[in-house]
Order: sequence, then structure tokens, then C-alpha cells
Amino acid sequence: MDQPRMTLRLPPGTEEVARLLDEVEAFAEEAEIPTALAMRLALVAEELAANVVMHGTGAGYFAFTATVTEAGVAILFEDDGPAFDPLAAPEAATGAGVDSREVGGLGLHLLRKMTRGAAWERAGGVNRLTCLLPRDH
Amino acid sequence: MEITETSEGGKAVAILDGRLDTATAAAAEAKLLAMLGQGAVIADLSAVRYVSSAGLRVLLKAAKQAKAAGHGFAVAGLQPAVREVFEISGFDKIIPAYDTRADAAAG
Repeated sequence: MDQPRMTLRLPPGTEEVARLLDEVEAFAEEAEIPTALAMRLALVAEELAANVVMHGTGAGYFAFTATVTEAGVAILFEDDGPAFDPLAAPEAATGAGVDSREVGGLGLHLLRKMTRGAAWERAGGVNRLTCLLPRDH
Repeated sequence: MEITETSEGGKAVAILDGRLDTATAAAAEAKLLAMLGQGAVIADLSAVRYVSSAGLRVLLKAAKQAKAAGHGFAVAGLQPAVREVFEISGFDKIIPAYDTRADAAAG
């Protein structure tokens, strides 16, 4: 059986992040991905893309590929922005109260909490992140 | 994302509809912070199917402004997938969440 797959390559921009989310939602529906898993897929896609939009100065594109497997959804994300390892970024302080709670760092916290086996590499001027969104979370 | 203003038990309610994400965060933030300038606000999220970290940042800013002004800020009607994001982020501990906006108005 063919594994449902989507891939989308876009220039970095806020509107392109919205476009990516639209496409991910459509893909999740077509591939009959359960609601909670579909939401995690959209979240991870947005966090990775938004990260390039906000911090990837000089990036010409980002590319998102999702493949549905028995274990969940395998994700490949690439961009040609500056070298950045999202797995090495500082953790958000999720136990802090409303006053001391910082506004940043949340996206990467969600990424790390929701995925398994995440790996990052830099090769040929491209950031390449792979991870798995497990079905049973 | 559409935001409709209404009231429940004398409290201001913002009904959000759609995705609270990178693309819609700025407009949602402007609306919520403007409403919080007038008093307590309940954000009804029952029609919000998706909240990303950009959306969480909006809600955190609203909670901070509400606390600084001495007003209340609560959310109501979280869908299960949105609730999961709240819990993973620790937001369930810093923003009061109710099943319905009537509960939030009473609480």
C-alpha cells in the first residue's frame, strides 16, 4: 500500500506559513489522520516554518515533507537559512507562573515534546531536520 | 480567524473562530488587549480548532496584561487537541480554563 505523502516548498513569509497550514490540514483530511495527530502535525509544521520566517535571515525557501507510516507521521523539514539546530535551543520554563513566564521558546518546546527521534544536520548549506510524530502520544 | 464580541453574566466575551496561529496572532492580540483595557475578558475558544505557539503567546500576553490591570482573564470551551497543547505548555496552570463561557462567567 502506498504511504500517503505531502511535500511543499515555499519561500519564507507569514502568508506562506498560513498556506502550509492549509495544505497540511487538507492532507490530514485526505489521509484520514486522526484529529489529535493532525493537530500535532500542523503544530510542528508551523513551528518549523515560523522559525525560518522569524530567524532565518537570508533563507530562500523552506520545504516540508510528511509521510504517513504505521508508527505515525515521518517529517522532513529543510531550509537554506543560517545554520540552526532547533533541538539545541533553550527549553521554555513551563512550570513558571504568569508573571515570570517568558513569551518565547514555546514552539520548540512543543516540537520536542510531541516528536520522537528528532535529528538535525547541516549539509551543503541546508538545515535538515527529521523526526517522527507518533500515533500513540 | 474571526473574533466576535459579546457578553455573558455581565462579563465581556471574545468568541474566537478559526486557527490561532502565526498568521492570525497579531489581529487576535490587538483585539484581546483592547478588550482587556476595559475590564475582565473571557476568550471562548470552542470554535478554535488549532492553537500554535504564536497563539499561546497571545494568550500569555493577555493573561499578563489582565494580571497587571487587576482584571480577570479566562478561556472557555477548549477542544481536546487544543487542551493538549495547553497542558504540554503548562498553560493549564497559568490561565483558568472552563468548559463553557457560562461557567467562566460564574467562576
